[in-house]
Amino acid sequence: MPVRCSGLWLPLLVAGIFSGCAATIPDDALRLPASTLDIRSIQTRTFAASSENEILAATIATLQDMEYNIDRIEKPLGVITASKVSDADSTGETTALIILDVLCVISSGGPCDASSSAKDKQHIMLTMVVLPSLAREHEYVTRITIQRVIFDKAERIKVLERIDDAEIYQQIFDNLSKAIFIQVSDND
Amino acid sequence: MTKLTRWLLLPGLILVAGCATTTPADITGAGTQLAIREIQTREYDTLDKQMTMRSVIATLQDLGFNIDQAHLELGTVTATRLHEYTMRMTVTTVEKDNGRIAVRANARIGENPVQDPATYQDFFVVLDKAMFLTLNKVD
Repeated sequence: MPVRCSGLWLPLLVAGIFSGCAATIPDDALRLPASTLDIRSIQTRTFAASSENEILAATIATLQDMEYNIDRIEKPLGVITASKVSDADSTGETTALIILDVLCVISSGGPCDASSSAKDKQHIMLTMVVLPSLAREHEYVTRITIQRVIFDKAERIKVLERIDDAEIYQQIFDNLSKAIFIQVSDND
Repeated sequence: MTKLTRWLLLPGLILVAGCATTTPADITGAGTQLAIREIQTREYDTLDKQMTMRSVIATLQDLGFNIDQAHLELGTVTATRLHEYTMRMTVTTVEKDNGRIAVRANARIGENPVQDPATYQDFFVVLDKAMFLTLNKVD
């Protein structure tokens, strides 16, 4: 049977080459999202402290209290980065996936490996930027950002996400507030 | 091999070959040095280096980045955003002889360098606002 595709193959080739290699850079990659102000207010609090050292020491202590390792500190810019690897295992999810594997083996007899996609561990990266307020003396603006990568049991990346949950940030700020109080009490 | 198979195989091979990135080119980058510098750099004469870097950090945070490291003396800030896709940026702040501050940003999304001037323009629009707020002592 003769193949007649001379009018079709060239555009297909060109389209294939360009679409296959197009770098997927989103147009809005560096535009402020509409939620910026809400997120900023969730991530930011202002604390009173007698010195920069006092609030930085309290911040580091808070991170240690939450079982983070301090990765880097750049004091003149108030940047403290910390991280930890912790368990992200969910008993409910793991059980459901094991049941799925069992059902799969019973019905198909073939290799079934759904349980390897269950969440296993998470790498949490947290940055606190603590800077003297530009508007008021003896006040320090603290902004926290948190991201995490969740790996499954086969060590594949399952989730990459920024943490936007207001309650988590509030809990950290509550801890920091207590740590500043303890720091002041220790110094007195 | 039938004619039909050949016709199907050829586009596939060219597609794969067209996407192959050769290692030597990747190591040294693919762009023209001066052209890339131009789209990635802006100069400011409003704030000093430390306050400019403070504005850079605030800009990156507003854009959803986590600051990985910052160094005042070397003027570098490196940040990562893990949201839908992985984006990494390094912003350098350099004091020039004429007293102006040059800010250069470079970004990668996954394994692709960002070379689109409009994307860098978007970054500098946000930085301009942050510089204005810092200049006017707004936290």
